[in-house]
Amino acid sequence: MNMLTVQDLRKIFGKFEAVKGVSFAVEKGESYGLLGPNGAGKSTTINMITGLFPPTSGEIHIKDIDVVKNQKQAQKWIGVVPQEIALYQSMSARENLKFWGRMYDLSGSALEKSVDQVLEIIGLSERAKDKVETFSGGMKRRVNIGAAILHKPELLIMDEPTVGIDPQSRNHILETVKRLNNEGMTIIYTSHYMEEVEYLCERIGIVDHGELIASGTLSELRETIGDHSKIILAMDKERFNPEQITESLTTFFSDKDFQIQDQQVMVFHKEPQLILTDFIQSVTKTGAKITSVDIVEPNLESVFLHLTGRNLRD
Amino acid sequence: MRKIWTILLLHLKEFFKSPGVLVLMFVMPALFSWIFGGMTMNSDQNKPVVNVVLSDSPVSKEMFNLLKQDHHFDWKQQSRNQAEKNVSAQDAVAAVVLPDDIGQRITETKPLFDIIVQRKNEDYLALSTHLEGTAGLVLRSYQATSKLEADALPKVLDAITNNKGIMVEKQIIQKDSNNSVETNLMFVGFAIMFMMFGLSGAASTILEERIGGTWGRLMVSPASKLQVSLGYLLAYFFMGWIQFAVLMVTMNLLFETTWGSLVYFIPFASLVILSVVGFGLMIAGLVKTKQQASAVSAVLIVSTCMLGGVYWPIEVVPDLMQKIALAVPQSWAMAGFKEIISGSLHSATLMRDTLALFGFSALFFFIGLRGMKFE
Ligand SMILES: Nc1ncnc2c1ncn2[C@@H]1O[C@H](COP(=O)(O)OP(=O)(O)OP(=O)(O)O)[C@@H](O)[C@H]1O
Ligand SMILES: [Mg+2]
Repeated sequence: MNMLTVQDLRKIFGKFEAVKGVSFAVEKGESYGLLGPNGAGKSTTINMITGLFPPTSGEIHIKDIDVVKNQKQAQKWIGVVPQEIALYQSMSARENLKFWGRMYDLSGSALEKSVDQVLEIIGLSERAKDKVETFSGGMKRRVNIGAAILHKPELLIMDEPTVGIDPQSRNHILETVKRLNNEGMTIIYTSHYMEEVEYLCERIGIVDHGELIASGTLSELRETIGDHSKIILAMDKERFNPEQITESLTTFFSDKDFQIQDQQVMVFHKEPQLILTDFIQSVTKTGAKITSVDIVEPNLESVFLHLTGRNLRD
Repeated sequence: MRKIWTILLLHLKEFFKSPGVLVLMFVMPALFSWIFGGMTMNSDQNKPVVNVVLSDSPVSKEMFNLLKQDHHFDWKQQSRNQAEKNVSAQDAVAAVVLPDDIGQRITETKPLFDIIVQRKNEDYLALSTHLEGTAGLVLRSYQATSKLEADALPKVLDAITNNKGIMVEKQIIQKDSNNSVETNLMFVGFAIMFMMFGLSGAASTILEERIGGTWGRLMVSPASKLQVSLGYLLAYFFMGWIQFAVLMVTMNLLFETTWGSLVYFIPFASLVILSVVGFGLMIAGLVKTKQQASAVSAVLIVSTCMLGGVYWPIEVVPDLMQKIALAVPQSWAMAGFKEIISGSLHSATLMRDTLALFGFSALFFFIGLRGMKFE
């Protein structure tokens, strides 16, 4: 059964169309990533799914509940980690967690137990009594996540939960999310960091300018760029002769499989190890002096570049 | 229900944690009322002084006591010389010289009291009626007791003092409470004004919450809009009541003020607080940031309080201003409180004030809730 189904979702702010007909589905127990640059429409999509505001058109179902018509019913099952830190700063971490737990119908000893567990998970048991305003950015982020998992939601929706924090806190958060997913929680995770999405998500949707431009598992997305790795040779300026190199390379490779740029020569291939020696030899033959060799595995960055002609982060 | 309560408690807690709010809601009004209250209290104590020159006769003390029953004057015993000096220096309104022998005064057909006076001003006029009354009383008692033993007259006068005392006392309470209706109203007025500041400040935290994201988080939680709105509104209502009650009790302890019948006072105050909550909500709904809210509310609150007769009695302003005041909720609140505190409880007036306040509240809530974006 699908945990979430989104069909032809649209949102128009005034005259500006922020989301232009997005459709996707997430299965129970799956972790789905939404990857896209700033302003792509990720938060807008998420906010419609969580019922914060209604879509201009389109349908959203969580399990079999229509979110647009019956949002309060659906909201019981979901945990939402908003992009901004949505906590009462003058209250302690524990007070915040208790407050949000109560909003999700927890009370009494169940609430206490859940708060203790969550404090443990986010690694803040020791600081539980301190006011949130005295926390570091990373710690606030962790409480922000904690507040969303108190009621053990079936679907956890996270909107860039790691924005602007140190690598250590970030790893902690990623590991936590991974564990929750392994324990059976369905995850929707938006980010503009491809490494996070690659690490966490079984399936990924790439969003740009309000459109879902690609969707699939990591390997499926790699397929869209032919799953080719890239070998990059950097050369010394002195005996660098692009014409000779081109001539030499055409004996091995077709035109579209290599590229010469500045003092760099790039070759695309599915199995770079097989052609590495041939490639290096045909370049050194021209008298060029190689300064470095790089092999780049295909990643979401290159997929995005391939699809849009732009980098994910500018 | 539990969610409403949770939201309510959270906001009360946050509210009373912030020192600015505490100063605004408790210290400032107490200070204002104390300063203004102290001023009017003092003027109350500035009673005109009347000197009394006692004689050796045993009745003279009793007559002095009888005179002292009028609490509007400060009665001071003096020697004749000093009394004359005081009167000419206008340190005393007048001096009353009590007779040695009442019988002699009667046979000589002289007035019972000799009065030394410099200027016959209003105070003197008030005094002379009292003196005439007292003299009449003494004379009648004298005649009645003239055939009895020598100490009968002082006893009778003493009895009269005590009896009459009840009457005069009553009259004085009436008079005193008339005076302090104005003072009490002023306390209530200040409480209203500061409550308006406090609550519109509190309501504008919704704007901060919207930017901060906690509002959004509430909206995507299973808590319904009704629960969230009730939680906030009740929190503001409680804040208002707590402030109001604390001020009223403090004033009561400090100045022994009375608030009239609590059966009327409490429901009416609740209605006033409700409309103040509506006012705060309306401002929060009309502007975008907390800064805007505080600027707009400062202007609106001070000007409407002036118009509405919170700072001074509405009766002292020109007719036109009194007409304009009808468009300001405070004027209705003050009018209602006046009915209740003065004890007149004129039901038509109270009804009219109540209806007007209901109208204002409904309007404010309508505007406020419309502006309260649930997105
Ligand atoms: N309330 C709004 N009114 C008008 N325009 C909006 C509103 N919210 C978002 N937008 C616009 O919609 C577009 C998508 O915004 P959105 O926040 O969904 O992007 P995002 O993918 O989440 O970006 P980021 O990675 O920066 O969070 C942006 O161009 C933004 O300016
Ligand atoms: Mg976003």
